[in-house]
Amino acid sequence: MSARESVLLHMTAPMREDFAIPYHDLGPREERPRLALVAGLHGNELNGVFVLARLANFLAQVASGDRPEARLLARVLVIPAVNVLGLNARSRVWPFDGTDLNRMFPGYDAGETTQRIAAALLRLTEPARWRIDIHSSNVDFEELPQVRLYEPGDEEREAARWLGLPAVVERPVNATFSATLANAWRERGGHSLVIQAGYAGGLQAAHCERLFRALVDFLEGSGLLVGVRLAEPEGDVHAFGVRQSFPMISEHAGWFVSRLEVGQWIQAGELVGYVYDGFRGDLRAEVRSPHSGLLAGIRRQPLLCEGDLLARVLTRDPVGAMADTYLMGHGQ
Amino acid sequence: MTAGAVKMSRETFFALELPYRERIALERAVFQGGGGPRVAVVAGVHGDELEGLYVCHRLAAWLEDLAARCPDALRGRVELYPALNPLGLDTLQRRVPIHEVDLNRVFPGHPEGLFPHRLAHAALRHLLGAALVIDIHASNIYLREIPQVRIARAFERQLVPLARQMNLDLIWIHEAVTVLENTIAHSLNERDTPCLVVEMGVGMRITPAFAEQVVTGILNVWQRVGALAPDLELEPATHAPAIADDGNVHYLNAEVSGIFVPTTEHWMAVGRDELLGRIVSALSGEVLAEVRSPVDGVVFTLREYPLVYEGSLLARIMRTGSAR
Repeated sequence: MSARESVLLHMTAPMREDFAIPYHDLGPREERPRLALVAGLHGNELNGVFVLARLANFLAQVASGDRPEARLLARVLVIPAVNVLGLNARSRVWPFDGTDLNRMFPGYDAGETTQRIAAALLRLTEPARWRIDIHSSNVDFEELPQVRLYEPGDEEREAARWLGLPAVVERPVNATFSATLANAWRERGGHSLVIQAGYAGGLQAAHCERLFRALVDFLEGSGLLVGVRLAEPEGDVHAFGVRQSFPMISEHAGWFVSRLEVGQWIQAGELVGYVYDGFRGDLRAEVRSPHSGLLAGIRRQPLLCEGDLLARVLTRDPVGAMADTYLMGHGQ
Repeated sequence: MTAGAVKMSRETFFALELPYRERIALERAVFQGGGGPRVAVVAGVHGDELEGLYVCHRLAAWLEDLAARCPDALRGRVELYPALNPLGLDTLQRRVPIHEVDLNRVFPGHPEGLFPHRLAHAALRHLLGAALVIDIHASNIYLREIPQVRIARAFERQLVPLARQMNLDLIWIHEAVTVLENTIAHSLNERDTPCLVVEMGVGMRITPAFAEQVVTGILNVWQRVGALAPDLELEPATHAPAIADDGNVHYLNAEVSGIFVPTTEHWMAVGRDELLGRIVSALSGEVLAEVRSPVDGVVFTLREYPLVYEGSLLARIMRTGSAR
């Protein structure tokens, strides 16, 4: 077993050097891959890219025998960043034409640049029994590290718990989702998970540590890795259905200020934050959660438009029609 | 403000607050004639597409003249919505600024949803029930399009007869694409409000000749649906559309990155293997690739922006028996 750097796609550029999208191919290469880990479809979602680079380093040490207590029993593909140019240019989208790589699936080998990248990525990762696509939200909104499942089967529900992240959230499949990597995987069978962690444009160290441990736990839980002992998980895993996700949306514009942290449990009526008028500075609203639940997301951008997302609360019971089926989140 | 029997007004029909003092307001111009059908033109869904704004100006000028000259000829009501994404237009961004969302992927929207969903919902609510909506797009900054109507296969039967009156050169009937279910046109058509999508010109520019051609088409269609008097004399349509579909449209994508220099022109007949352009290097005199037509046909999409990556679309060609 050895670690190797491989190339997903090699391309020419108009005025730069040729470029490649590299990935790590770890474990016994003659086998069909058992797990594919993908991040950086959006170039500004850094948590997943960093964690996958670190995880690849760790798994390479295991595979090369530098960590004799541990063994990697199966082939694992790790693609830290798909949108390499976007990462280097600090852009969510493919910078040349503004296309969103995660709206280009299943892709097309003879099509547009981003369709070609999508097709190559899908071809590489599709054979893996397990596939995980890691995202952060956008630059404005912080997500608690959580698993997202899209009309899952029982095996995916079970596998999502191996990660040990505090929330497993089921989401509806809608028209926007149809062009994502997760949906392309889903349509081809096998088992796929999406992870959301933190916000774009920066690294959140605590989320990264949690995400790293979650992925190692997944490797252990799925039997692909043995002999690694990490600290006990911090808390329970909670599962939430499609109608147990409540978005708090602002009816005011101005400044939004909150001291809450994602991962807290809050009560109905509890204060989430304040909205101040942008110019006059007077208090316009106290924002209170109408439902009890787990604070799974909070706005980090203080500038607030009318109709902006303030927070997302995962509730113990269904909360009816306001479940965010129509909110096509940025992160996925 | 009235002129003869035509009541002309400019209305703000929806607004959302921005963080510091300002707001985003959606405006429309309304020309109320008789009690006949209501028709609408929508533009500026993408903030980098300006062709439709100019079409709205030309239509408004024509309607103002009609109101002064022959007000009874406006049998119905015309609504012009030149800028559904006003902040995108004012800041030169294709998507909805701040939210980085393509407005034409969030319809039908939601009145209590996020900012872009609210914009979409407000626009849709005002457009529903019209006898005809025309949604004008201007490609993007990369590609120039001959004026054309694009119709999803599911709505072919209702829309092609209207599209034939539009004085355009091409009707492109495309197969179902799931993400396009979130467009304004799909949302209107599936709610029984006919909507024609016009693509013309190129992003960040206006092409006055295309605009005049489309204005003539729109007036002819308005007359057909009864918004204009049947005896009103209009400039006749002079363009008869060819019908393209996924079976006769060929895409030419760059096989190498570089600078694309076309050797053909838009809406030109081309022969099989005919040279359409070259991809060249800026660091040497080398021609990196020659681009040739795979078929006899006409070029209806041609790349405007010269730099290309591998995969960048260079041209679309409709295969023809006898090219013009």
